[in-house]
Amino acid sequence: MPNQSPPTRYSAVAQAFHWIIAALIVVQFTLGWTAQFLPIGARKLARLDWHKSFGMTILTLAVLRLLWRLFNRPPELPPGMTKFERQAARANHVLIYVLLFVMPLTGWMMSSAKNYSVSWFHQFTWPNLVGPNEQAFNLLKSTHDTLSWLLFAVALLHILAALKHHFWNKDDVLKRMLPFTKSEKRP
Amino acid sequence: MRNLYLAGIAAILFGAAAAAAGAASYTADTEQSRLEFVGVQAGAEFKGVFHKFTANVDFAPDALAGSRIDVQIDMNSVDSKDKDRDTTIRSKDIFDVAHNPTAHYVTKTITKTAAGYSAVGALTLRGVTKDVPIDFQFVPAGAGAKLTGSAKLNRLDFGVGQGDWKSTENVGDGVKINFALVLKPKT
Repeated sequence: MPNQSPPTRYSAVAQAFHWIIAALIVVQFTLGWTAQFLPIGARKLARLDWHKSFGMTILTLAVLRLLWRLFNRPPELPPGMTKFERQAARANHVLIYVLLFVMPLTGWMMSSAKNYSVSWFHQFTWPNLVGPNEQAFNLLKSTHDTLSWLLFAVALLHILAALKHHFWNKDDVLKRMLPFTKSEKRP
Repeated sequence: MRNLYLAGIAAILFGAAAAAAGAASYTADTEQSRLEFVGVQAGAEFKGVFHKFTANVDFAPDALAGSRIDVQIDMNSVDSKDKDRDTTIRSKDIFDVAHNPTAHYVTKTITKTAAGYSAVGALTLRGVTKDVPIDFQFVPAGAGAKLTGSAKLNRLDFGVGQGDWKSTENVGDGVKINFALVLKPKT
């Protein structure tokens, strides 16, 4: 593998990971942010129930994705990007990966601290990570909330950067992550 | 007058003899005893306890007809290790402690089983009285005894869960009860 030239496009598996997780993150923001405005009750419980099941799905996919990423080289960044642009792109990608783990983990921990065990779509229950603890819950909740804003910011930057590459630089950075498209041959 | 006096002594002696031949009377040491319920919320189990309850037990393995378990539970003392949930449980739609501050369980019949004993008793919860069977073991310990056992009931039989809480999607109908009573002889 080390002698192979890097691929020009993301593989179907990498694309699947990317778009499934992206869609789930949109669902998570919708469920999580709207649940905050609901009074304590059955509707809030139900919404957070979905939020937790999807969150644990993202965490599982993130583990699989990271393993896949470690053994499969992604395509290289297009030529002509400045050193700063390359570093910024790398930093943003790393941050997204970190948040793919930290968001579900802080959510799982805050559920444990509030003594609400996490179910996966009512099929099975994940073990509690910490014991019931109100102070820990408050700290974890504010961390989870704050990091959701950070994720929102880095995801937005990620999307804007992809669009900038596509429409401004007119390179294949966006297309190579899109299914049903073709990337031009790199010279 | 003298006859009345003798009759009084005879009555006391007779009463004591009858008690000795029948079931011994105990009360539960609440500090050391535990009354727990296990519910299912958002697909995951959660546990709660009642800190305050009184239990009067008349029991002898050879006098089951005269044996009886009588438990009064202070519904306000519910503790599921989350204040928000406890407040919700105490509210009108669930326990409605403002109108039904206590629950009461008293056995009607006790029978010997292979594993110990089983009983059928009347449970009054949220103003509704229904029969609930229990299984238990009675192990003498010094002058007292340990009474451990479990029961299963359906919360909706007692109207525990009105409005949005009637749905079994968010909160399961089935509730498990576990108890471990440390009994001291009644003085």
